[in-house]
Amino acid sequence: MIKGSFLVPYIVMLIVEGMPLLYLELAVGQRMRQGSIGAWRTISPYLSGVGVASVVVSFFLSMYYNVINAWAFWYLFHSFQDPLPWSVCPVNGNRTGYDEECEKATSTQYFWYRKTLNISPSIQENGAVQWEPALCLILAWLLVYLCILRGTESTGKVVYFTASLPYCVLLIYLIRGLTLHGATNGLAYMFTPKMEQLANPKAWINAATQIFFSLGLGFGSLIAFASYNEPSNDCQKHAIIVSLLNSSTSIFASVVTFSIYGFKATFNYESCLNKVILLLTNSFDLEDGFLTASNLEQVKGYLASAYPSKYNEVFPQIKNCSLESELDTAVQGTGLAFIVYTEAIKNMEVSQLWSVLYFFMLLMLGIGSMLGNTAAILTPLTDSKAISSYLPKEAISGLVCFINCAIGMVFTTEAGNYWFDIFNDYAATLSLLLIVLVETVAVCYLYGLRRFESDLRAMTGRKLNWYWKAMWAGVSPLLIVSLFVFYLSDYIMTGTLRYQAWDASQGQLVTKDYPPYALAIIGLLVASSTMCIPLVALGTFITRRLKRGDTAPRA
Amino acid sequence: MQRHKRFLYQRYPNVEEVGMPSAHRISHVLLCNVTQRVSFWFVVTDPSKNHTLPAVEIQSAIRMNRNRINNAFFLNDQTLEFLRIPSTLAPPTDPPVPIWIIIFGVIFCIVIVATMLLILSGIQQHRRKNEGPSEMEDTEDKCENTITIENGIPCDPLDMKGGHINDAFMTEDERLTPL
Repeated sequence: MIKGSFLVPYIVMLIVEGMPLLYLELAVGQRMRQGSIGAWRTISPYLSGVGVASVVVSFFLSMYYNVINAWAFWYLFHSFQDPLPWSVCPVNGNRTGYDEECEKATSTQYFWYRKTLNISPSIQENGAVQWEPALCLILAWLLVYLCILRGTESTGKVVYFTASLPYCVLLIYLIRGLTLHGATNGLAYMFTPKMEQLANPKAWINAATQIFFSLGLGFGSLIAFASYNEPSNDCQKHAIIVSLLNSSTSIFASVVTFSIYGFKATFNYESCLNKVILLLTNSFDLEDGFLTASNLEQVKGYLASAYPSKYNEVFPQIKNCSLESELDTAVQGTGLAFIVYTEAIKNMEVSQLWSVLYFFMLLMLGIGSMLGNTAAILTPLTDSKAISSYLPKEAISGLVCFINCAIGMVFTTEAGNYWFDIFNDYAATLSLLLIVLVETVAVCYLYGLRRFESDLRAMTGRKLNWYWKAMWAGVSPLLIVSLFVFYLSDYIMTGTLRYQAWDASQGQLVTKDYPPYALAIIGLLVASSTMCIPLVALGTFITRRLKRGDTAPRA
Repeated sequence: MQRHKRFLYQRYPNVEEVGMPSAHRISHVLLCNVTQRVSFWFVVTDPSKNHTLPAVEIQSAIRMNRNRINNAFFLNDQTLEFLRIPSTLAPPTDPPVPIWIIIFGVIFCIVIVATMLLILSGIQQHRRKNEGPSEMEDTEDKCENTITIENGIPCDPLDMKGGHINDAFMTEDERLTPL
């Protein structure tokens, strides 16, 4: 999510961190010509843990990321109805009104939390596997399997499709979004920087994480893809083009997002005002059309002074409507895609068309990401002689998809969304930072920057610019270390970890503490990927020691 | 109320023709209990017996015919309110098979068929390749253009093995030649 205050850190992080690290990973892959495990083993046998950590992180990511595709499928299939199921509340038992939970929340929230997720009130109450999201998850994995079945050649062709189609849809949405009523409010909100937010290190951490994720650094997928490139390929040019394209796409998508966001906020603000006007008109028997948005405050003051007792009765039900607070409901991640957008779509004309387009685009983006992830897992597996001699490529891919699908069923239970949030927040972030840090330090100081430079010159025939050398050797590692420190200090200062749970009786999210076993699993997630690096290094050291111990007495 | 008065008078322009004295004007219509909105109480009398029908019967009758009453006034449930008669909402139309399952089924079948086709063609290719030299596959994946092949055996140019052999670490093991 890019806001005005976000643009500055985003661009700075892109130039200082995104581009150099992208170039580094592409160059390593192209030079070593192996997946992430083999590539790092080549640089130093003690470092194959980095590759293993990348594969573990990719594995976690592929476990939970496909659930998003499953939800996108679910919404896509439901978009072919009139009216859209998330635009109307279902009627309650005796048909005198709407369902209670739906009344308290909005109909889009109800559809997301009740119909799609059937969410439980807290993470402890697990519930059963919901068959509808489970079916969609199976379909999503089948689709991914279909695309990776033949290996990278087929994946390459699919990616042409999954990468270009979202641009077309985004363009259509841009035109539609900018012509919506209230779009300018959202755009103004996006582009006005808030100076106090720039001083907050959280903004910089978020920008850095955003760059990491959107470029796919540290996952090993870049190394995997680059290993299939020809050695003479100009990866510097590709790195710059890819990162610039990626960021401009993000900004483009954010413009679309914020214009639709502004439309939704304006619509909600105006309907909130209308509700207050109706309430006051009914309670005080005012003339129809007497109260408007402009004179609302005046009339409220007049009514408060003229009929104080009656006003005090009505006062608790009067909501304070504010456009700013509607825009500030900063929803991120899955909430943004499935609640905010659907709410905006249901108010557009021909909403079925827009809905189908939107979820189709979301699917394309999601499947594209999954293909990168699974490539990062499969390339080391198919590279290793041990596994690929027993099983053909198709069987390995099928096995990986099957295992991931089976584990992914956890996310379709009633408490599944809470586990999804755990994975989303903790599986990748810290580990990625550490992996990229070790990568940069390894290439610059263990392998040797000069050696790498001469390798690149021999491979591509181009001299390495001083900018890259300065970034790789100095700036990027320092930046990542400082990010790490901020992240950890932030966690230490807030104490325990909390999550947002959906309370059906109130119709809104409440904050709760994680139970101890959830905290243990979070710790396990972070540890299992980061500990790979020192553990494998230790293991290699011990095996070498043993080998040397065997050969020494002979001399 | 102003609107209604004018309406009544427009219906009966020729007040004099009906036989009423022409002195009747707007000022002769008296109002009481004026509110800002149009509202009234009503009772329904039974013409044969001289009493009013009970409220419960009227309420259920109105509930059944709400739509017709609304349409008569060109109003709807939000603009015409009957106090103490909550409006019943139309039940949602539920098709026998939910639409989403149909679409899901279609796409599911397409994906399964495509997967089967790809797997089968992959197996066929495998069988055909097993008759040819199978060593060429692995190296061809990564180094496509520069392998020279004689008699089906690839000649590895020194540099192209890339990271398979790392000189810095090969020498350690060979420092001491075994006896």
